Amino acid sequence: MLKVLIVDDSLAIRIKMKNYVEKLGHNVVGEAKNGSEAVKLYKELSPDLVTMDISMPEMNGVDALKEIIKKINSDANIIMITANGQDGIVKDSLLSGAKGYILKPISEEKLQDSIGKIFSEYIVKDSNILDENDLADL
Amino acid sequence: MNDEEKVIHTYTKDVLLPIIKRVKTYLYDEMNIDVFNTSEITCPKNIHLKKNTVMIGTTGSIKLIITLGFDEELLNKMVETFLDGENISEFDLSEVRDSVACEVTNTIIGNAIDNPIDNSDIYITPPVLVCSAKTLNKEKNSKFAFITFITKYGEIELTAVGPKEQFENELKFIEN
Repeated sequence: MLKVLIVDDSLAIRIKMKNYVEKLGHNVVGEAKNGSEAVKLYKELSPDLVTMDISMPEMNGVDALKEIIKKINSDANIIMITANGQDGIVKDSLLSGAKGYILKPISEEKLQDSIGKIFSEYIVKDSNILDENDLADL
Repeated sequence: MNDEEKVIHTYTKDVLLPIIKRVKTYLYDEMNIDVFNTSEITCPKNIHLKKNTVMIGTTGSIKLIITLGFDEELLNKMVETFLDGENISEFDLSEVRDSVACEVTNTIIGNAIDNPIDNSDIYITPPVLVCSAKTLNKEKNSKFAFITFITKYGEIELTAVGPKEQFENELKFIEN
């Protein structure tokens, strides 16, 4: 069972994501509404996995990702969540240390695929989430 | 007309058409809601915003303000489908309704936005729920494009606001 931190400014998405995480058998240890809260909670909770929305007020998800990777844990498992799959935003996140990304609308299957790519014990066949070979092509 | 103006003049239609298409596919695929009729695109002098209207701006080489306004019953249906039976407290209900409206708008526009001018990225601002402003009035150098989607639960109104020169006559928008 993974300890998961959910980061999103949308209450509706936090509720939905928590539902998916728990259905997959994992434990939500914290929720943050912006990047600053995410960094603070990451320090306190040391989660196994973070789902991080990119577009948020105060500190966005990419800046929070960079701060966590640089200052707290260079191997943090962070999955970025975005509605906008344009190359620049996604590439910046992946090159900054994100382990994958989910293009909205989110679904239980997409989350399961992403988790399986990071944690081999939860691997799912036929996943289309980016892996290390994809990253090398960027 | 120089080359730069030509580029600017053609992009509103190219930006809007994928959004119009995504409104329909998102509602059908994610919400089980069928858009059975769509109005023609018009360019009115002012826009009366619905109570539940979300605004998103685009930045980069495309600059537009895009709004989606939802009828009450339609938003309630979307909230019900979005939460999929998840219980929420009365205290959270209002915030959840607002955040579903913002999330649906963010996903539709984020999924659909593309750059027809060059290969540079277009970024979208976080969604903002419009609470008090009810009417947008067109100023001399601005223009609106407006379209309505009709479902059995009510309407969605899509508005794009931008500099007048982005909305050329060759787009064949119908003026009110």
